[in-house]
Amino acid sequence: MANYYDIDGILMEEEFVPVVFQKAINGVNIDESTEKGCVEQGSKTELPFWLAHELHMRQAVSISVPTCFNQKTRLEIQADAACVDLRSRCPYFYEFGCKLAPLCDKSIGLLLSYAFQIRYKEVLHKAHTTAFAAASKFLMLLTKEETYLYEAAQSSMLAFKKWRMGGPRLQRASILGRKRKPAE
Amino acid sequence: MAGQSDSTMSLFSSEEIEFMAEDEMTEIVPNLRMDSLNFICGDYGPFLPQLAAQVPLWLALALKKRGKCTIRLPQWMSVENLTRVLEAERDSHAFQPLPFHYIEISRLLFDHAREDIPDMYMVRSLVEDIRDVRFHKVETNLEKFTASTVTWKNMSAMEVNVIRAFAGRALQAFYKHDNEQQTQDTDRALDKQPQIPTDRPKRNLKPR
Repeated sequence: MANYYDIDGILMEEEFVPVVFQKAINGVNIDESTEKGCVEQGSKTELPFWLAHELHMRQAVSISVPTCFNQKTRLEIQADAACVDLRSRCPYFYEFGCKLAPLCDKSIGLLLSYAFQIRYKEVLHKAHTTAFAAASKFLMLLTKEETYLYEAAQSSMLAFKKWRMGGPRLQRASILGRKRKPAE
Repeated sequence: MAGQSDSTMSLFSSEEIEFMAEDEMTEIVPNLRMDSLNFICGDYGPFLPQLAAQVPLWLALALKKRGKCTIRLPQWMSVENLTRVLEAERDSHAFQPLPFHYIEISRLLFDHAREDIPDMYMVRSLVEDIRDVRFHKVETNLEKFTASTVTWKNMSAMEVNVIRAFAGRALQAFYKHDNEQQTQDTDRALDKQPQIPTDRPKRNLKPR
């Protein structure tokens, strides 16, 4: 992410990834039911990406492929990428995938670009033709990035239509409508 | 410059594009006698009754609103030319050459100088048809693009502006995913390198 304070970047890093601990770590509990107060080598758990990434850099954990990139999803995307509900799987599918690809499975990159190419066409068609009400069902399937794309297309099309229809050329300055405060 | 538009990626609003279109030159026939006007953007005039003069569209419209001139319809807005363009537009995949601001200019003229346009309704419907055909073409073109270079000739300002936000974002995404793959490919190539025997026989260069 380009911007450190980008809210989507921050939310994206909250996604959970399954990890396997490579080292035993003292003083942490990943599971409330065990009362050992330490993590054993080889234990599995899910951690948010930002934590898993840091631990991975210190070689404390190894990251495995999260459910949104598993074999089942892949097959579904290969079958018909446009109809896969990616939002429920991971709203930051593409960004998350890009971050994750070098850490666990490099073939994710291919999957992402394939999925995006197919779904991009769908977004394009829907954005420029369908009325907003009819598209709401379709919108439920889109990831964040795709939603932004869709909204960008819709808003510029709307702005153009508004301009073409005309309307008041001169806008009233907002300050003119205000009542003057009663002088005391 | 782009203070009006809310989204950061769509740089100009339609009104701003229209504002830029008003700098295009048009021919007017004034019906008043007036000395030349000296502006920062240039000198126009002197104006003599019944003698055609070239002025920017904004000046033409300002004079027109005061009833001081008639606007000559631009050459490309004649019914014959528009019919020809529309046919060519329907026949080929490429965009036909039209003025960069054709949508805005035609709209301004329809709004303010309707009595100067012969066959006003015909001209208007032709322009609308051309615009629709071209928008449809833009969409089919958008469908095809990937991160490789994109060259579409003869697109007009408004057409570019309508798809600017969408296409910008889409290209960024395509670029990101393509890059991702390329870095992986180079990684893979680097991984492979040690396997290649180092004492590979060098290819003999042919003497010229």
